[in-house]
Amino acid sequence: MSTAIATLTGHKDRVWNVAWNPKGTVLTSCGSDHSIRLWSKEGDAWVCKTVLSEAHTRTVRSVAWSPSGSTLASASFDATVNIWDCREENIECVATLEGHENEVKSVAWAASGALLATCSRDKSVWVWEVAEDDEYECASCMPSHSQDVKKVVFHPTADILASASYDNTVKLHREECDDWTVFCTLTGHQSTVWSIAFNVSGHRLASVSDDRTVKVWQEYLPGNKEGVATPEGAPVWKCVCTLSGFHQRAIYDVSWCSLTGAIATSCGDDCIRIFKEQPNSDPNAPVFDLLLTIPQAHAEDVNSVTWNPTVVGLLASASDDGSIKLWDFSHIF
Amino acid sequence: MSGFSGVLKLTDLDDFIAPSQECIKPVKVEQKSGRGVIRIENDGADAAMAVQPKYEKAKITLNDCLACSGCITSAEVVLVNQQSHDEFYRVLAENNSREISEKLTIIVSMSPQAVLSIAAKYSLGADECAQKLASYFKRLGAHYIFDTNFARNLSLLEAEREFLKRYKEKDSDPKTLPMLASACPGWVCYAEKTHGSFILPYISTVRSPQQVMGSLVKDLWATQKGLTPDKIYHVTVMPCFDKKLEAAREDFYNETFSAREVDCVITSVEVEQMLVRDEVELVTLSPCCLDGDLSSGSQLTSHPGSSSGGYAHSIFIKAAKELFNQEIDDLQWKILRNNDFREVILEVNGETVLRFALAYGFRNIQNLVQKLKRGKSPYHYIEVMACPSGCLNGGAQVRPESGISSKELVAQLEEAYQSLPASRPHDDQRVLSCYSEWLGGHDSEKTRQVLHAKYKAVEKNVNALGIKW
Repeated sequence: MSTAIATLTGHKDRVWNVAWNPKGTVLTSCGSDHSIRLWSKEGDAWVCKTVLSEAHTRTVRSVAWSPSGSTLASASFDATVNIWDCREENIECVATLEGHENEVKSVAWAASGALLATCSRDKSVWVWEVAEDDEYECASCMPSHSQDVKKVVFHPTADILASASYDNTVKLHREECDDWTVFCTLTGHQSTVWSIAFNVSGHRLASVSDDRTVKVWQEYLPGNKEGVATPEGAPVWKCVCTLSGFHQRAIYDVSWCSLTGAIATSCGDDCIRIFKEQPNSDPNAPVFDLLLTIPQAHAEDVNSVTWNPTVVGLLASASDDGSIKLWDFSHIF
Repeated sequence: MSGFSGVLKLTDLDDFIAPSQECIKPVKVEQKSGRGVIRIENDGADAAMAVQPKYEKAKITLNDCLACSGCITSAEVVLVNQQSHDEFYRVLAENNSREISEKLTIIVSMSPQAVLSIAAKYSLGADECAQKLASYFKRLGAHYIFDTNFARNLSLLEAEREFLKRYKEKDSDPKTLPMLASACPGWVCYAEKTHGSFILPYISTVRSPQQVMGSLVKDLWATQKGLTPDKIYHVTVMPCFDKKLEAAREDFYNETFSAREVDCVITSVEVEQMLVRDEVELVTLSPCCLDGDLSSGSQLTSHPGSSSGGYAHSIFIKAAKELFNQEIDDLQWKILRNNDFREVILEVNGETVLRFALAYGFRNIQNLVQKLKRGKSPYHYIEVMACPSGCLNGGAQVRPESGISSKELVAQLEEAYQSLPASRPHDDQRVLSCYSEWLGGHDSEKTRQVLHAKYKAVEKNVNALGIKW
């Protein structure tokens, strides 16, 4: 239960991020050794099938798969984002997105596969449109935050973009008239918001912070039955739950399972924790139970966690200790 | 960092005025000659005991500060403090207390976009506003008030000539086109810093109207009045803080007289603040005509095309006429990916011979540069501006009143601008005589020196201690 089903080693330095492809068959990792690794199962073992090491000149901070599974994007401290064509055995870098002033922290794809978002220490959030022939054009460059932007995530179905920042806020963006713009700011965290995740429907958002809490936010649309005011006909997001007292250090990542509804967090106290909403919870004041804590999941800070999109209970984690671990939590669901 | 364009806000201003850890500018200590006391040592040697000097507060001039790379003060602080309305007030006060023979001549040049922004705030007509502002500035101690549209004529004509020359060379030199507009300092400074030597050869060398005005005031006009550049204090009123950065460029500094061509840039929002501070109701002031020497005329004028100078418009029409013998009055702009990215083409015998674009705002600049880098730009000329909707939406324009959106205000200002009488630089006698009498012809060394500028790639300042996390 508290032991990993597999430990994947190979990265020569801290691993920053892990991401599953949409089919759940390939795990991608990236880290401070400037490389991206693709892992898949051969028989009972997980092996590293590909190492992409020449394309970035600094730490690769984040990787993201397009919804079709044919393209991978990697965001790096070298201020670029590389786009990889993964349809063939031989993975090739087909485009490089330049323009950010400094370290790119995160990259995310929209559900349609037609948009990409990036964010950086330069405090801005960019939206890119995928044109033909591997051409990516800037659709918007927003100076959204007042500090380093740590993470961007698209809504599971709509063209709504969420961003989390060192300025303690989460901002929601959408296209209005001619350009993208911030339509909602979620305030409440007392420190850097490191990561965010939408639930399967997109009506809720979980955020994790340096302030050691997890917050769950809920969308209230115009005309909602709870009577929450929606000025100017824009949806309003309210914090409906705060989980505090569980984490001993900063929480670096969060993953909200689309299959089970469980929330996994990765923490600077080296632990992984799993939370789930109590059945029959008040929808406007939900209660989340801590189902499981894995103490010393890794030897050092756990930087990233991600649920497999097709296999129930399968979780991947990445750490400063240079390793990636796979966990099977299917028994708790 | 308010007041600056979105483009400069996204880059690091500190790289332009490279601050590092401590000011290393040696401060000149005045050697006061006085009574030295000689102390006779025991061995017979003598040592002069200097009177302990009383140190004055260390002062560094803006020039020294900007030219040096040793200061901890951030670029923004330097620019905003040294080139602001506070500085203007200080200079005015200092001038008021000077002897007549020592007084500086104070000139104020106003851009049409700034005037319109202020006019909208106080519900005044364009000319009314310009004249009331003239009255206000004269009250404060300024001597002559001009508008910058006359200067813009020269800027446009030079841009036309440069384009024609480059178009003719395009087959022998693939890097001569597309020609990119140079009037916007937000764009130019960003280009110097981010894309350096790759992009600079494409940018037009023509000076912006502000800097042409600088030349006109400190060279042509000064000579006519028997003044040297350091005896004139030239203030411009502009729609953004980026213009402060432009005025501070090395290129626009006269070494001989240690004088800037534009000494101080104040912006629309700063004029608003000044009026509040001085408790002046602009509407109640009696209008004062602008001075004729360097103004566009008795009324404010516009140039056809965009409200950011109309560069693409005038160059397109001139090129169509000169190169293809086509008389065009009106350009049919097609909106592409967004409102701030448009193109217009000229087809002759089924072939596209001219293709121009307008690219305003950071996202469009990004796309334009990336396309250029990949060799995929189909354009011959691109009017590039840092601010979406152009100068009327500059970073330091007066904010809209509550109840009206930014978009609505900009639309209002556009309408106001388009209703100003259009200037016709080709027929303007004064413009033509500038070339014949002052500049010595279109291709003279003087023209190149006084109406054109140079660009330099700016190194990124990688000072770990200077990074803002």
